[in-house]
Amino acid sequence: MPWRRPRRREERAYESRESPEERLERASEAEEERDTVELAALDGASIVEAATGEPEADGSAPSLVIDASRIDEARAARDAARPEEGVDLSVEVARGLRLRNPVLAASGTFGQGTEYAELIDVSRLGAVVNKGTTRNPRPGNPQYRIAETPAGILNSIGLENPGAEEVARTYGPRWAKLGVPVVVNVAGYSVDDYVFVVETMLGTPAVVAFELNVSCPNVKGGMLFGCDPLLAAEVTRAVKQVTDLPVIVKLTPNAPDVVAVARAVEEAGADGLTAINTVLGMRIDVARRRPILGTGSGGLSGPAIRPIALHLTYQVAQAVSIPVIGAGGVTSARDALEFLMAGASAVQVGTATFADPEAPLRVVEGLAAYVRAQGLASIRELIGAALPARGAPLAE
Amino acid sequence: MILEEGRVVANTAIGELGALLQVHAPGVAGRAAAGQFVHVRPGRGWDPLLRRPYSFNRIDRRAGDIEVIVKPLGTGGEWIAERGPGDALDLLGPLGSAFVVRRDTRNLLLVAGGTGIAPMRVLAEREAARRNVTLVMGGRSVAHLWPSERLPASVEYVTTTEDGSFGVRGRVTDVLPRLLVWADQLMACGPWPMLAALGRMRDDAARGPTVPGRAPLLEAQVAVEQHMGCAMGVCRACVIVTAQGNARVCREGPVFALADVRFEAGEPATVGLP
Repeated sequence: MPWRRPRRREERAYESRESPEERLERASEAEEERDTVELAALDGASIVEAATGEPEADGSAPSLVIDASRIDEARAARDAARPEEGVDLSVEVARGLRLRNPVLAASGTFGQGTEYAELIDVSRLGAVVNKGTTRNPRPGNPQYRIAETPAGILNSIGLENPGAEEVARTYGPRWAKLGVPVVVNVAGYSVDDYVFVVETMLGTPAVVAFELNVSCPNVKGGMLFGCDPLLAAEVTRAVKQVTDLPVIVKLTPNAPDVVAVARAVEEAGADGLTAINTVLGMRIDVARRRPILGTGSGGLSGPAIRPIALHLTYQVAQAVSIPVIGAGGVTSARDALEFLMAGASAVQVGTATFADPEAPLRVVEGLAAYVRAQGLASIRELIGAALPARGAPLAE
Repeated sequence: MILEEGRVVANTAIGELGALLQVHAPGVAGRAAAGQFVHVRPGRGWDPLLRRPYSFNRIDRRAGDIEVIVKPLGTGGEWIAERGPGDALDLLGPLGSAFVVRRDTRNLLLVAGGTGIAPMRVLAEREAARRNVTLVMGGRSVAHLWPSERLPASVEYVTTTEDGSFGVRGRVTDVLPRLLVWADQLMACGPWPMLAALGRMRDDAARGPTVPGRAPLLEAQVAVEQHMGCAMGVCRACVIVTAQGNARVCREGPVFALADVRFEAGEPATVGLP
């Protein structure tokens, strides 16, 4: 039986000649008809059709016999939908953490990974970094929490999250089914806070690493750890003592000496670095004569900060021997290539996802296309290609 | 929810309310419900960057069209408001929660302020054939009202203006008491001060004795606005305070039970306070 279209709710044109009673009667008749159609539509539907409400692709009679040629077709269809198949995009994004490709969803812009899974195939990403997780639940900052700026946004969310125990309990089972590695972003006010969150999240399905958020500009004391090399090293050392999973430290561009912090946390045992978190910024509401954001200042992200992020990635990559993940305004494969050539082993896509939810996948596809077009054996050949030590010497 | 490239069919100025954009987007139209919204990308580039949320003002499944009211706010809003027939529009939607009309409701009371008319028009068009519908709309002046010819003829349309240029001089809350006695269900969308005024009426009704007009206030549903980022529930920019704690306008909302929304001096209650 040919597939019948799923039920459509009828929008009846209004006719003024009918009385309200006539209209009601007609409406209820139509409702009954539709119910019958709805049930009838399932007759002869395959299991897949009944479950999904969508007709099966080829429209032929449903069959339980496994047909090898159809499996090949399905595989071909999947590869067509995943142009990155067959290209070596795998990278080591932190010591002991190899991902299938160098594209991660940035913390705070991808929730718990489950939300965007309703829209895109998140299993095609290298990894997902979850929303900053703290020891206790946090309600976050007062409104407004977001403001638009030239080619970017300011945010002041204030680490709103349900706390480590709730994140592990609620999202662990969902992460197990997501098909993508999860990096837990850890935030806190004391060394104990960081250790507590990491210990709580240990053993949670799909978690492959921790990213220490020592650089949140939107909570009191949040940036303290990231601005002081000694404190950053202390929190890194403490976390390394309680977990064997790779520990990545997310650097803040607001530190007086970013390279010094990078060196200090490497020395303390960090397995990787993320460069960079948001840049402090502000906007004023002229009509109300006060800052737009509820906290006054907030964190600037998006393409506006890309040159800053690139500069710091370039500096940090030369100063340390652990992998660096570039972050800040990545919207396309070209942007990602800039970061890789500046010494990053991977990139995080964040703010761009808000404008284009497919942006992270487009970066994956674009990187694969570049590797293919350039005839490279692997994307790894590009890492640090623009660094002075490896590339052509820079002009004095 | 889906990503869909819509095509603008028409762009009509509606007084001071904004540009009424009719967009052919069968995928979004086929899934949309009153109260939900569509997140529109202002161009293909990254400046302006954020999408803009617009509540559905009309859902025509048969034609595959939606209509939204676009106020030219900010560079992104201006860009969208200037789209003309044939222009492509990057849509993400439908998003958020929808109004729920009870099957046994005979008399439906809709209250709109400003662009809050959007979901009320969808409800009016859908429900006019099923029950008695009265729509109350308030605005600063006649130029801020929704034109009556764009409503089903069977809908009773009551208007208020602050300057008295059309309808009753005053605000929507001034005409509500007599209508609440008649109504079985109340739904509203508008600026925060209007919703807060409804919230106060509800609080009074909750405290008072059982009188006619109390039930629709206690069960009222409202759609709220908030500055929004992703609209996918991840960034938590658009949260408000509700009886259940923080709620995202883009996910748990934009339609909430009036009883659950927490107000503070005519505005949403401050987030982050215990």
